[in-house]
Amino acid sequence: SAKAATPQIRSRKTPRKTPSKPLEQARARLHVSAVPSSLPCREDEFTDIFSFVKGHLIDKLWGCLYVSGVPGTGKTATVHAMLEELNTEVQEGEIPAFQTIEINGMRLTEPHQAFVQILKHLTGQKATPQHAASLLEQYFSSPRPKSKPVVLIVDELDLLWTRKQDVLYSIFDWPTKPKSGLIVVAIANTMDLPERIMMNRVSSRLGLSRMTFQPYTFKQLQEIVEVRLQGLRAFDSEAIQLAARKVAALSGDARRALDICRRATEIAERTKQKGSKGTVGLNHVEWAVEEMFCSPKIMAIRNASEQEQIFLRALISEFRQSGLEETTFEEVLKQHVSLCRLQGFTPPSVSEIWSVCVHLASSNFATWKL
Amino acid sequence: MVKKKEYGLKEADDEVWDKVQDLLRARICQNSLPENMDGTFQSQREHLTDLIRRCATIGESNSALVIGPSGAGKTMLMSSILSELAKDSKISGNILQVHLNGLLQTDDRLAVQEITRQLRLENTIKDRVFGSMAEKLSFLLEALKKDEGKSQSILFVLEEFDLFAHHKNQTLLYNLFDISQSEQTPVTVIGLTCRLDVVELLEKRVKSRFSHRQIHLFHSLSFEQACKVCEDALTLPLNYLSKKFCTEWNSHVKEFLQERIVENSLRHLYDLDKSIRSVYSILLIPICRLGPSHPRLDSADVLDALKMSSCDSKSAMLQGLTILQLCLIIAMKHLAELYEGSNINFEMVYNEYQKFVQKKSHSIQCFGKPVCLKAFEQLIVLELVRPVEGSGFTGAKLTPKEYRSLKLLVTPLQVVETLNSFSGCPSELKMWATNPLPS
Repeated sequence: SAKAATPQIRSRKTPRKTPSKPLEQARARLHVSAVPSSLPCREDEFTDIFSFVKGHLIDKLWGCLYVSGVPGTGKTATVHAMLEELNTEVQEGEIPAFQTIEINGMRLTEPHQAFVQILKHLTGQKATPQHAASLLEQYFSSPRPKSKPVVLIVDELDLLWTRKQDVLYSIFDWPTKPKSGLIVVAIANTMDLPERIMMNRVSSRLGLSRMTFQPYTFKQLQEIVEVRLQGLRAFDSEAIQLAARKVAALSGDARRALDICRRATEIAERTKQKGSKGTVGLNHVEWAVEEMFCSPKIMAIRNASEQEQIFLRALISEFRQSGLEETTFEEVLKQHVSLCRLQGFTPPSVSEIWSVCVHLASSNFATWKL
Repeated sequence: MVKKKEYGLKEADDEVWDKVQDLLRARICQNSLPENMDGTFQSQREHLTDLIRRCATIGESNSALVIGPSGAGKTMLMSSILSELAKDSKISGNILQVHLNGLLQTDDRLAVQEITRQLRLENTIKDRVFGSMAEKLSFLLEALKKDEGKSQSILFVLEEFDLFAHHKNQTLLYNLFDISQSEQTPVTVIGLTCRLDVVELLEKRVKSRFSHRQIHLFHSLSFEQACKVCEDALTLPLNYLSKKFCTEWNSHVKEFLQERIVENSLRHLYDLDKSIRSVYSILLIPICRLGPSHPRLDSADVLDALKMSSCDSKSAMLQGLTILQLCLIIAMKHLAELYEGSNINFEMVYNEYQKFVQKKSHSIQCFGKPVCLKAFEQLIVLELVRPVEGSGFTGAKLTPKEYRSLKLLVTPLQVVETLNSFSGCPSELKMWATNPLPS
């Protein structure tokens, strides 16, 4: 029985509930996975990528596009939206049919597995990485009048780096062949990746078609959240603005803004009082921001045990005395014992002070080397 | 039916005490869940319960980190929540649990294998997982990709989360967080760790996919509450053995915990480490000594336990040395004080020892160099003395034994304290320890 196993998770006992209350609906829409059909604030980038791929498909020109930007700026989502749009155009007969292959550097155990994955998607064959590489080389250099052109999306490109750079080289070399029928869209975080890590012959094959996704500004983040919440009265508008401003000031990561708003709905639900509007207000967002970005160190010190606090004090006074930022345990020990005497405690034994030190180091309050 | 025999503390026999010991030891050593958890970490508990419940019922994906110092009750909180949710059939029928531990799954290969095994995917036959690592990973991701609202939600609990962040490329974390942020099988990823700065360990694309929910647990018990927890741990349920026995025992426990010695000992431990596990540690010896001939928790036993737990390991080791080795240690102490900061070697120590024996000592036997060197090497093995790195101890260029630079790992205070309590220590040695020889 050579039936291929189709991987599957066991099925549910009871069907999923659908959210009914406004706050629950808002939360479902604010989830990062609930990508809207058209991405707000990325229209220009969308048109650029779309026209690049469409133009190449129509003209039967093969090539690469390099897309970069910090995490959470909508790179992958835009590329996916572009593919969807292309597919509708294919159905309308405006452009020839094509095949899409997607690989992600982070989902591979090692760079050469990229060949295996691409081959599997192309022909369904299973092969070792070396064999797959030579098969693919053959596939893309020989003329194939019947088969469709291929759009290859490579996410997290920087992880495909190897010392010989053979994976990167092959991926960017295939489209230069006149018969390949391949368009590569490569996605990574850093703008200068081609110059920084690639050899000249690889980066020259990548070409100059590049595109950068800027971090979102606060206006854009606000729009992103508002578009998702259209038709729902769950948020006060200044609450959204606060979340957008806080995130834009830190990173401009859309995931963060959505997560904060989602957390704010939870807080609003929990602290809801009778008679109130039941929408998410400024204070809820403020609470959520505080929770996500706060540094817990001060709370941790406040809740530390008496001897742990004395140890930290001993550490500080030792640093003040010596003027250095490093010290030996022995020096701190002396300070610790004298601090204990000063406060009227009987000083603990050396082993006990050691264990206090180890305990503090396990939360990474102090780092040490032996 | 035979009526239960009524007996008090004094009449109880071996069998009864065995049962009592079993119960109390299970509570104190096996970290069994306390029966009464109302009010501990209430808001954190609500937050986590909400996440898991929503994941099971609506299919909402989430990720969270539970952060707190070791012994603060992270695992306890998690398992008490899970055991509570297991009673609800709407939840337990719709969620699969996968438990991973950073100490066991030391790399992604093992972790992926363990996940497939615990999910019982089709490439497993009787707990054995087939395929290469690359195949296993793509199989797993393939399985998690398909979701038409029919598959069960999955709860991942990653203990020692900070160790997962040290895996190559953080592939596993990226994939788990990525699934939780995209339209695939609903998953909830909960990491438990004691490192406060764990988020800084994550790579930026992994960090971006993590939802930044951080749930902090601190040692929040005041000393009075810690004492109450101890009392609860020692208290027997009234329907346990015989009513008379249990009432007598419970009132005895109350008295016991109010004794001055016991309270002070608990306080000492509480000041060192606020975790309940550390406070418990002192109760173990009194419990283990219970029996027909010793039917009460004794404050003398508590003192014994305290002495054991607070004993200084270096001083204890010094107690077992020979007189010659003590001489060498004292010589080194003087040298370390004289040449503060710089290293010493055996020749210097031997010289100092010779001076002492010839000038000051009348009763201590003088040993030759080879004997001293042997005694000295034993000190190195005991790690009371440590060779300084890069001093020709290893490698191609071996320095002769006598000239390797060394460092004393015992503080002067420890030396003096040991000599004071050392049985049969010559008085000359004590004198020498406090007054160095004139150079």
